[in-house]
Amino acid sequence: MTPSTAITTLTKAQEAAGAAPYDRAIFLEGPAGTGKTTAGVQRLLNLVQSGVAASSILVMTPVRPLAKPYSEALRRTRLRPGSIPALVTAGGLARRNVELFWPLVSRQAGFARPDSPPVFLTLETAQYHMARIARPLLENGYFESVTIDRNRIYSQIIDNLNKAAVVGFPYTEIGQRLHEAWLGDESQLRVYNDAQECATRFREYCLRHNLLDFSLQVEVFRQHLWSLPECRDYLTRSYRHLIVDNLEEDTPFAHDLLRDWLPQVDSALLIYDQEAGYREFLGADPDSGAALKVLCAEHLTLNQSFVASPELNALGARLANALRQPVTAQPPVAPEAVRQTLLFREDMRFYPEMLDWVAGQIADLVDGGVTPGEIVVLAPFLSDSLRFSLTQRLAQAGIAARSHRPSRALRDEPAARSLLTLTALANPDWQRTPEQFDVSYALMQAIDGLDPVRAQLLTKIVYRSKANAPGLSSFEQINPDMHERISYVLGGRYDTLRVWLADLQRRRSPATLDHFLSRLFGEVLSQAGFGFHDNFDASQAAANLVESVQKFRQAVAEVDEQQQDDEGGSVDPGREYLDMVEDGVIAAQYVRGWQEVDRNAVLLAPAHTFLMMNRPVDYQFWLDIGSRGWYERLYQPLTHPYVLSRHWQPGRQWDHDDEDAANQERLYRLAVGLLRRCRKQVFLGLSELGEQGYEQRGPLLWAFNHVLRELALSAELQTQPVASQNTPL
Amino acid sequence: MTLPGDFQFSQGSLQDLVDCKRRFQLRYLLQIAWPAVPAEPYLENEQHLRLGALFHLMAQQHTLGVDEARLTAMASEEPLAGWWQNFMQQRPALEGTLFPEAVLTTPFGQSGQRRLLAKMDLVAVSDGRATIYDWKTSRHRPPRTWLADRLQTRVYPYLLVQAGAELNSGQPFTPEQVEMVYWFAGFPDRPERFIYDAQRYAEDGAYLTGLLDQAATLSMSDEPFPLTPDESKCRFCVYRSLCNRGIAAGDVNELDFDDPEPMVEFDLDFEQVAEVDY
Repeated sequence: MTPSTAITTLTKAQEAAGAAPYDRAIFLEGPAGTGKTTAGVQRLLNLVQSGVAASSILVMTPVRPLAKPYSEALRRTRLRPGSIPALVTAGGLARRNVELFWPLVSRQAGFARPDSPPVFLTLETAQYHMARIARPLLENGYFESVTIDRNRIYSQIIDNLNKAAVVGFPYTEIGQRLHEAWLGDESQLRVYNDAQECATRFREYCLRHNLLDFSLQVEVFRQHLWSLPECRDYLTRSYRHLIVDNLEEDTPFAHDLLRDWLPQVDSALLIYDQEAGYREFLGADPDSGAALKVLCAEHLTLNQSFVASPELNALGARLANALRQPVTAQPPVAPEAVRQTLLFREDMRFYPEMLDWVAGQIADLVDGGVTPGEIVVLAPFLSDSLRFSLTQRLAQAGIAARSHRPSRALRDEPAARSLLTLTALANPDWQRTPEQFDVSYALMQAIDGLDPVRAQLLTKIVYRSKANAPGLSSFEQINPDMHERISYVLGGRYDTLRVWLADLQRRRSPATLDHFLSRLFGEVLSQAGFGFHDNFDASQAAANLVESVQKFRQAVAEVDEQQQDDEGGSVDPGREYLDMVEDGVIAAQYVRGWQEVDRNAVLLAPAHTFLMMNRPVDYQFWLDIGSRGWYERLYQPLTHPYVLSRHWQPGRQWDHDDEDAANQERLYRLAVGLLRRCRKQVFLGLSELGEQGYEQRGPLLWAFNHVLRELALSAELQTQPVASQNTPL
Repeated sequence: MTLPGDFQFSQGSLQDLVDCKRRFQLRYLLQIAWPAVPAEPYLENEQHLRLGALFHLMAQQHTLGVDEARLTAMASEEPLAGWWQNFMQQRPALEGTLFPEAVLTTPFGQSGQRRLLAKMDLVAVSDGRATIYDWKTSRHRPPRTWLADRLQTRVYPYLLVQAGAELNSGQPFTPEQVEMVYWFAGFPDRPERFIYDAQRYAEDGAYLTGLLDQAATLSMSDEPFPLTPDESKCRFCVYRSLCNRGIAAGDVNELDFDDPEPMVEFDLDFEQVAEVDY
């Protein structure tokens, strides 16, 4: 967990982990919030300062944000001159080494063009290529009985391939595994067959075109590179000291790699969070992580929480009991003290009332001196409408809020939307006719000083569409009265933009969409008098768009060149990109490294995302605790995290009892994980009717009812009268 | 914006500070993304940069022992094929222990909290002497005087003396044990060699610290940093529109000896390995 600034000195156990001799492997475990990462960071700094070559240290985390405490410590600390440690994920390590040793394995891995460089796919470009493969099949009746969005079909097939790769079974067995475990309507079996066929076709397509999605990067590394002396020697010679954090959130692929690697290193520190494993649905495997313990000579446990109070820990134990999970022994805490960690109001019928209550409580906390950054609002899923409703309410109270990702989908960014509209206007032969509103919005963004009223007026006059081809007419040709209403200055700017677009269109230049956007930005929109001139948010959105288009073009270029040869046809990558953005295949929701997060804002996040941010706060609001979303898995008809895990026994069937037990355990881990990341108090948001208007009686609500009843009973036994607020929810 | 206490300088950022202080401020201090075209022709330039990156990767692969024949088969496109052939036939004799893509860092400035960081294409260490190799794939072969003025020529040897002990069994290199060689893939018979000495080391230390102080002093004010007096540089700078210094990008063939900046800046940081989130 992110080291707290409050921890100024290390406990003995932390010191022991941080300063243990650099000749052994240590397994450090404990619940969240007990300072394990702090110990890991200390060990990293000790290693570097001790004279060990920093370049021989590898810090591995399941995802990059979890490495932040390490990178921040390296930046903060005055380190001796020398090299620097590597901070990696197992996936990143695989990719880097596939790139480095490509010529040695490309042939045997089955790539059709082993002498050409590999093309690494992002999640987005993988999804694009998957769409190209699956779309014609969908038109022919594949996945007929599945009612989810097409993009989710694509992403679940990719997810299956990824699971096969990280778990370590052949991707050709995905359908069979799902098939054998299925207990229900037979039509679902056809869905699994379809999913297998798409996965197989995708893999063959990738091999044909030198494309490597995440799954293929992992498979090439696992099957060909790790056994290759050049690669293995390079890695084991380069990195002599390993620090692995959040082992429980990593995949069997990472664990298998470590299993082989550990006997060869000088030292290792493996950090394991007990009762976690929140990324199981992405292939994380806490059990295979825990199995590495036997390879470590020294075992250390941290138990003392630096975050959650004894009362919150006691609440966690009571919840565990209510959810029929093993209970860890806790020091005795008075029932009333446990009760006071929870705050709720039980007379709300409608969802908006609950949101009002939440916003009101947050406002009270902030008025009382609590920093907004110490408050998080959690829900099982964060819908756009929920985010909007809550952000609005908080804004009315003058409180800043941020959602779990600082960036939004590109098409929601005003600057990017404007650029995409101008692209459509510059390419009338693409026959994408923007709405009047979009054109007026684009002009308003593009021309400095053009207000919405004049933008609408101008659009109404100059924008026309003939035979589905959009066009703009000259400002000079319009009625002189309108000249004055719009103003000659703004009209002149409009004409500069229009002439620039028409000129490029006439010369059929530039040839690529990213080049066009770059020139539009540099030569017009960022010049003085235009809307992007000193607007750094707009320039950032434009940069994201250009980068996204460029990566897309590069990822499809190779395939298109080949297909052009093979099939005599080709698609314009720019036009294809716009289609993909429109269909939602490409959201380009990536965050650039330098984007700063407003720490002094209330965080709104899905509960699992907050857990993976690993950042404790003082106050948590759990929204809609009656929702079954806290308990049930996301509906994923094409995949299954348990059946596709390493622990699944082939031939077994997944029944309701399995589902209940898994959900129960998942809910327990989630609830306890959240409590361990809370310092002071949990606010429970509940309304009789949920966001969709249905009555809410989910297992989390049931568990809290159970806990409150027990607390009331215990308090009664301690001769205290039952307070009315202790009635069940 | 004040220069952050943990700011990391590189030869690239220091070169910007020397060339145009405003560019340093926009690019490294404020980290303003400005997606204008750096140089035309766009695709040709992109292709040149892509092949340059591939050449560097292949040189690294070669150092790591990847079979030459397989690497040669990878170099089918021009000018990469020519560069690679030159490398195969006329590369410098690389002797001793080789450290490809060596990243070194040292505390920098009075507080020592800021850092100077560099990633060197190759460091060869033999008999206690170190040679820094930098592979250049630029279109033109720059003259020695131009290279001598580049921050890279000052930062790399300085950093190797300061922070290179790890590459020499724990023994720091003396300035006299260090040299730097620019090897031009397009002009393989004309490498440029710079030897190093104590006087140069002392001068570089003072000069680099002076640059840091300059950046820190400028950053104390809210004012924009001064623009370069040499407006010809602006034609190849993406911020030209922000500074009201031009509209269209310059022609890459008119650029002196440097490569134009890549569209996506390589961010040298502690997180060295790219990854796909999963």
